Amino acid sequence: MARAPAACYPAQAETAASGPPGDAAILTTTRSRPRPRRPSGVWLGLLLALGCGPERPAGPAVVTFPGSELGAEGRVLRGQLARFMATHPHIRVVQRPTPDAADQRHQLYVQWLNARASEPDILQLDVVWTPEFAAAGWILDLDRFRPPTDSFFPATIAANTWNGRLYALPWFVDVGMLYWRTDLLRAPPATFAELERDAARVRAARGLPYGFVWQGARYEGLVAVFSEYLGGYGGRILDGGRVTVSSPAAVEALTAMRDEIHRDGVVPPAVLTWHEEEARFAFQNGQAVFMRNWPYAVGLLRDSAASRVAGRFDVAVMPAGPGGRPSAALGGQQLAINAHSRHPEAAWEVIRYLTEPAQMLERARGVGELPTRPALYDDPALSRALGLPAERAREVIDHAVPRPVTPVYSQLSDILQIALHRALTGQQEPAAALAQAAGEMQALLDRVGLGRRRSADGD
Amino acid sequence: MGIEPGLGVERREARFAWGLAAPALVTILLVALFPLAWTVWESLHLHDLRMPWLGRPFVGVDNYVEAVRDERFRGALAHTLFFTVVTVALELGLGCVLALAMNRPFRGRALMRAAVLVPWAIPTVVSALLWRFIFEGRSGIANALLVEAGVVRAAPVWFIHTDLAWVPVILADVWKTTPFVALLLLAGLQNIDPALYEAARIDGASAWRQFRHVTLPLLKPAILVALVFRTLDAFRVFDLIYVMTGGGPGTSTEPIALYTFHSLLQNLRFGYGSALSVIGFAVTFALALGYVRFLGPGLTETRA
Repeated sequence: MARAPAACYPAQAETAASGPPGDAAILTTTRSRPRPRRPSGVWLGLLLALGCGPERPAGPAVVTFPGSELGAEGRVLRGQLARFMATHPHIRVVQRPTPDAADQRHQLYVQWLNARASEPDILQLDVVWTPEFAAAGWILDLDRFRPPTDSFFPATIAANTWNGRLYALPWFVDVGMLYWRTDLLRAPPATFAELERDAARVRAARGLPYGFVWQGARYEGLVAVFSEYLGGYGGRILDGGRVTVSSPAAVEALTAMRDEIHRDGVVPPAVLTWHEEEARFAFQNGQAVFMRNWPYAVGLLRDSAASRVAGRFDVAVMPAGPGGRPSAALGGQQLAINAHSRHPEAAWEVIRYLTEPAQMLERARGVGELPTRPALYDDPALSRALGLPAERAREVIDHAVPRPVTPVYSQLSDILQIALHRALTGQQEPAAALAQAAGEMQALLDRVGLGRRRSADGD
Repeated sequence: MGIEPGLGVERREARFAWGLAAPALVTILLVALFPLAWTVWESLHLHDLRMPWLGRPFVGVDNYVEAVRDERFRGALAHTLFFTVVTVALELGLGCVLALAMNRPFRGRALMRAAVLVPWAIPTVVSALLWRFIFEGRSGIANALLVEAGVVRAAPVWFIHTDLAWVPVILADVWKTTPFVALLLLAGLQNIDPALYEAARIDGASAWRQFRHVTLPLLKPAILVALVFRTLDAFRVFDLIYVMTGGGPGTSTEPIALYTFHSLLQNLRFGYGSALSVIGFAVTFALALGYVRFLGPGLTETRA
């Protein structure tokens, strides 16, 4: 049944084989040359003219999309796809249930894509997967569709760009933010030193069990938190193909994190087993002065039925240390097209529709997810939708820093997670842990050919 | 029919037997030996699903060399051995005591025997979650009890200490598997002829000497079975630690099975992960052989 619409969007190889020899030649050139703008345009035009030009196709093109089907997010998405199909009768979108847990979804995607499956046509990617999938040749380079990159936050575009080409369109953005208690403090701290002072003072005065809570279990969340401290101290994880995670700034940042736990008691040692939700529970129950978390918590904390801090908290950008600037880890979901999709144009239409301002506003209202288009932040409707001043969210996003954009990000992060956790649980000194991690990370980059020699064209 | 009908029949019967066994043999070949051979073959390749541009070249024993040099893998091996020795020793000791107690006649013995199996019947993942809750946080039962009893002043965070993290893990395993060991040993105890104890008593042997010279030697086969089962099981420990510590803090409670899973299914390094599986398999196999080789004679002796 999925084969029927091939008349409209034929598989490339198939057409190349059946079409005139000239077409095949064009296809080969597009494959081997780096930037075949003209020929590929001609090719596309030809495709459209041959397949879908004058006569209407027999049936709609079926595009499969593994978006979340759960809860409010599922409801919003189903509504949007239904509207899309009503206005685009030549395309039918079929949702394909996938696990919501990032690890499991990643594993599933990799299995499908390795097998060159043509479905799902559209992939929902975590921001750190885009370079991996692009380098593997699993997703289409979107430049062929001339996406309106100027309308999106530059950081989100940078995170989805590999070798100078855009491979996924940012759908919504996630940033690490500092949640603080407006009933206990007048203003959010600008520096880590201020945060430590405020936390200690308020805890002593009010008898709160925790000062500052974040995500410190050995998983990706710990790297996100670390990258914010790191930016605050002026360090970075990668510089092109060179690993810089053992720099003095990085050692300072990690030492500060450790001391907040084990020396100053600002951060409870229990965070070293915590993920997002444990931190949220502590803050929501009024047990902590500060929390670092993603924007999803805003809506939950505002719900006075479950939250003891409803109306008594606000968000701000994370503080900075000496020598750096406030930083927010950049997360979020992107939409990309399977390189073996039989209907890339139809898939692109779906992506374009889902990333329209109206759809983004609806997502913000229904699920509290932040749009990836800066223009929307001037729209008062967004503040109403989010339940927090849009300019506050905008300020945090302006400080967003992508985690290293590299195809081997997950492997690098894996090494780093262990080093960070060892240092924070007192098994190793921060300097030693980071030096060892940097050595292993560099060895990995060098082994897969992404090492130092690329540093010249990096950044 | 041949000249020697007897031989012909035998041969035909043998052929018939092979024919009957063939489906089973082929199935075993397909589901057991083929995957094993495939894993060994895979382990000789560089095969990283996440980096298809590297291809799938044959690299000989490179993956094994990397494993031997891999500090994390050596650590995982040490953790697995530690876990195995400690839990198996505790489970055998406690299981033996439990079995002896259950072997005595008392009211409600049948009920007791059934009740003792409850921990064994609970799925490992569930019991792991249970024990994690007991030890997690300031309000966990373990911490509440310890603080109440005045053993500690401040509740420790068990799962962030390299040594303390083992306590809940080992407790959970011992709690779950001791009943299994006890039941195996109980079966052994019931095979011992009561007349032997009578004879020993008439000879004036103390309870300890009866245990030492009658019970223990005759229980040896059952002990061996329990030992083999438990060692091989403990060596493959995965779910318990995956749920309770995730191998942390750092990697200080990570067993081989977890690291292999991580390399193979999370990092999708099929070549390296296969090499780790093969090493894990080889060690388990060697352990099983070792038991048969060194403890087996005792087994046959007592049976004879």
